[in-house]
Amino acid sequence: MAQTQALTFINEIQSLVSDKLQVVSYKWLSRNYMVSSDEAKRVLQEFVQKNEGELEVVYALSGWLKSNDRSYHVRLVTGPKLAEAQKEFDGDCSVQVYSVQASIPKDPALLWNAEFIQAEELFKQPSSDDNCLRDNRFCGISNSFVRRNVDASTVFSAAPQPKSAVGEGPTKINAVQQSPKNIARDSIDKADTKRQNVIKEVKSESNGTGNTVVLDNINKPTAAKEKALPLPTGKKKVQVDKSGSAAGGSLTSFWGRASAKPKPSTTSVENSSTVSNPAESTEDAQTACVEECDSGNDDNQNVSLRRSSNRKRRVVFDFSDEDEDVVNLASPDLPNKQLSQDSRQNDKSTSEKTTLNFDLQEENKSGVKEEKPTDQKAHLPLRENLSAISKCTNTEKSSSEKLHICAPDVRVNKDSVNNAPPCSPKRRKVMKTRIDERGREVIEVVWEGEETVVKKPDKVTTKKADSHTNAVNSAQATKKPPANSNAKNGKGGNKKAGNKDTKQGNILSFFKRA
Amino acid sequence: MLELRLVQGSLLKKVLESIKELVNDANFDCSSTGFSLQAMDSSHVALVALLLRSEGFEHYRCDRNMSMGMNLNNMAKMLKCAGNDDIITIKADDGGDTVTFMFESPTQDKISDFEMKLMDIDSEHLGIPEAEYHAIVKMPSSEFARICRDLSSIGDTVVISVTKEGVKFSTRGDIGSANIVCRQNTSVDKPEESTVIDMNEPVSLTFALRYMNSFTKATPLSNTVSISLSNELPVVVEYKIAEMGYVRFYLAPKIEEEEEDTKP
Repeated sequence: MAQTQALTFINEIQSLVSDKLQVVSYKWLSRNYMVSSDEAKRVLQEFVQKNEGELEVVYALSGWLKSNDRSYHVRLVTGPKLAEAQKEFDGDCSVQVYSVQASIPKDPALLWNAEFIQAEELFKQPSSDDNCLRDNRFCGISNSFVRRNVDASTVFSAAPQPKSAVGEGPTKINAVQQSPKNIARDSIDKADTKRQNVIKEVKSESNGTGNTVVLDNINKPTAAKEKALPLPTGKKKVQVDKSGSAAGGSLTSFWGRASAKPKPSTTSVENSSTVSNPAESTEDAQTACVEECDSGNDDNQNVSLRRSSNRKRRVVFDFSDEDEDVVNLASPDLPNKQLSQDSRQNDKSTSEKTTLNFDLQEENKSGVKEEKPTDQKAHLPLRENLSAISKCTNTEKSSSEKLHICAPDVRVNKDSVNNAPPCSPKRRKVMKTRIDERGREVIEVVWEGEETVVKKPDKVTTKKADSHTNAVNSAQATKKPPANSNAKNGKGGNKKAGNKDTKQGNILSFFKRA
Repeated sequence: MLELRLVQGSLLKKVLESIKELVNDANFDCSSTGFSLQAMDSSHVALVALLLRSEGFEHYRCDRNMSMGMNLNNMAKMLKCAGNDDIITIKADDGGDTVTFMFESPTQDKISDFEMKLMDIDSEHLGIPEAEYHAIVKMPSSEFARICRDLSSIGDTVVISVTKEGVKFSTRGDIGSANIVCRQNTSVDKPEESTVIDMNEPVSLTFALRYMNSFTKATPLSNTVSISLSNELPVVVEYKIAEMGYVRFYLAPKIEEEEEDTKP
């Protein structure tokens, strides 16, 4: 396991360093992949040996200096200066790879930029979460009084908290979005059985919501698919999971449309598990997930270059689906509702597995209920949209962006999903792009229009509707005008923010006449 | 009586070249502190503020405040008649309706007098409040000019986003889109080549490239340009004029209309 893991690391490091130009330090590596710092250093060392000369290495030297006042000294030096620096040390000094990068940054602060953001991210997690930074799990220095919790892999809450995304580009992504995968990987070994249990739990829970069949179906195909998938690394189940999603990523890059669906399916699985919490809307979960998975995949799969074309394709596809023009919106508060760690974990792992079987799932689902078909269909475009959106977002260099959606809006959407027939043609979807306080670009998808008109009490349509957020509460199935948005869809184009009609401001509105 | 003697005459030429495209007619205000101008472009989207402090002139005499309305194109025509090394003197009488530009060659063997009719310009002077900007980007002016030029071949508007990572200029047009990111870079040998981002808050604003491009006509005035951005405020593009003052361009951002994007 360790070896295969290291192999995957190395690949990913490769892409981070060469494609994303990130500085990969052992600390970052350790936290990001949930390995001990020693292991991280070892992997980096290996990586450096493999890629001799293709990248710049910063070494950490530590030892006693030769100079008169003997002090213990830790120094970072670049590869070419290594030998020289070593001479300044008395006797043997330890030489470890501190970081690898495509080029030595002019500003040394860049060396720990990534780490810093990552650490910040970890610190920002709710205090109830016990992440690797808090329990100092991977530090080489230990104190017997400090409780360590290496096995508690569930801790990483980044995935369920799209909001917590922080910082800049690649680092953040990795820290936040990649983490589910890693956790899954890590934890699966330990908690494999556990997970199984949870899945069952989830199933049974979902019974309550009337989704059971669907869920079952989802799970089965997943499993089947999983086996069927070619597993490049696959030796263990863990690996399988990983490779499964990885394959999803690369396939995605080749078959824009085909992969576009499967990914969302991932979400739906997660979705169903989340449904177990009655207070949540499935759709919410879905979207949130779609986002995550999507971006996660994007960034993780090292196919970022191909991505762009892929994105394009999807967007186009979006168009073709005009008739089912519904958008699913994720509610930002989803994360808060996340259940136990276990379920989270499971969600993640399940979602990973399912990456590719959306189609299957769809079929299955449609078989289930009369309602479902519409539902399903509706979901489809939703996902498409979402993925399109997230694509867009990804395009912006800071892939950290997330979608923000208002809870009420979500309700509307969901409802619309459930009740296909167009009702109030007055709503329209508006995408707002803004830069939030941390410099991330945020695209908000908002439905504008008269909500009241649209609202309609009830709609049995599954409890999904009900399961909404508290704010939304009460079973409301609001109908939404697919037709309307269709029209818009046709003409609107998916050019995103850039294409907005903008009005030139007048300088006189800012400055008063003196 | 007004008499301003500027040894580095080419500077005045550059100033005129930098603003005449944006503004046709403007009042030059002369006071004991300096020679200044404030004018909006005809569509009231952009504003130019020029200041040449009295200390920057070799000789500065301004008995009483006066405002001289000039057609900038005509003024530029006259100033073009001055050699680059010429010393320029601006002279005007109180209450007169002309202004005289006198050019002396460096060797003093050629002296030219150009008299230009003044105009009565009814212009509004705007009070520009001192504002704390969310982000101030300092970068090489030529780089900025290049970016604006390049982007304008692709789109009409530029979105300038400042994050702690850097400043991003992006545009989108019929043929595609473009993003240019400049990272903070303070470690170059020459300070004028550095890019410095001083950000309190991330900002993203949209501007018409047409105006940005006319602002970059001031590039010869300074090696660096500073771009100050705040959400909901006009951007300030400032070119410092060495030891004398500045040319500042204010440009109102484009405002996204509510129903702009109806993408499904």
